[in-house]
Amino acid sequence: MVYRPTFRKQGDGSRCQWVNCGPASHAMAAQRHRRGVDPRTPHSWPPMPPEIRNYISPHSCGGTSLQDNDAATTHMYATNMDVRYGVPWTTFRSLIISGRGAVVQISYSVIAPTKYDASPGFYGNHGIYVNERRASDGAYLVYDPMADGRRAGIPKGPQWWPASLLQRAAEAMPGTRAGCINASFTKDTEV
Amino acid sequence: MPAKDQKKPAPKAKASIEEHKAHADAFLADPKYKVKPTTLNDTSDEAKP
Repeated sequence: MVYRPTFRKQGDGSRCQWVNCGPASHAMAAQRHRRGVDPRTPHSWPPMPPEIRNYISPHSCGGTSLQDNDAATTHMYATNMDVRYGVPWTTFRSLIISGRGAVVQISYSVIAPTKYDASPGFYGNHGIYVNERRASDGAYLVYDPMADGRRAGIPKGPQWWPASLLQRAAEAMPGTRAGCINASFTKDTEV
Repeated sequence: MPAKDQKKPAPKAKASIEEHKAHADAFLADPKYKVKPTTLNDTSDEAKP
C-alpha cells in the first residue's frame, strides 16, 4: 500500500491560514517524500503548514508558488522535490502510478460546482496534494487542505476525485500551457 | 510544452509499473520542463473560510 501522509488543513487558526494552501500541501508532500521519517534537521518534525509559511514569508502573507515551497521544504526537511511545468496529463499519471506524490496547482472554479467543493464562493488558484491513483476506476486520492469538515457540506480529509475532474481543474490553472499541468513531485517512495 | 511535443508518449494506464517508472524518470531528466512559463503566476489566491 502506498504510504499516506497525515492530512493537514490550512484553516488552522495560524497567520495567513486562508492563503496557506501551498505550505499545507507541501507539509503533506514532505511527509510523503520522507515516508514519515524525521530527517533530523534543526526544524521540528512532522512538517506543519505554519512553519513552512514562516520560512517563506515571516512578516507578510500572500500566495506562495511551487518554487517558494520547494525551497522551504528542501531547507527545512531535506526534500528536494521536482518542480515541473507543462506536464502532459498522461505523464502525470505515470509519475503517480510509479510511486510519487505531487502538489498540483488547480483553478478552484472547476471544483466549485461539485461535491468536492471545500470553500463555497472561492474560485481562485489553489494548491492540493495528490497521493495516489486507484487502478479500479482511475480516481486520484486528493488531500485538499481546505477540506476540513468545518461545517456541514464541506468534505473532510482526503477524497477520491475522478481523474477527469482533477485534470480539468489542473489544466484550468491560468497561464498554464494548453493541455498540460504544473506540479511538484516527491521522490519515488515505493521502490 | 504541448503533449504532442513529447518525444515518447506515456504508457497506457494499465502498463507495467516498470514502464511507468521508465517514462517518469525520462521525463524528470528533461530540463525543458523545469522552465516556468512567463505567463504563469502560480501563486495561490485567498480562499473563503
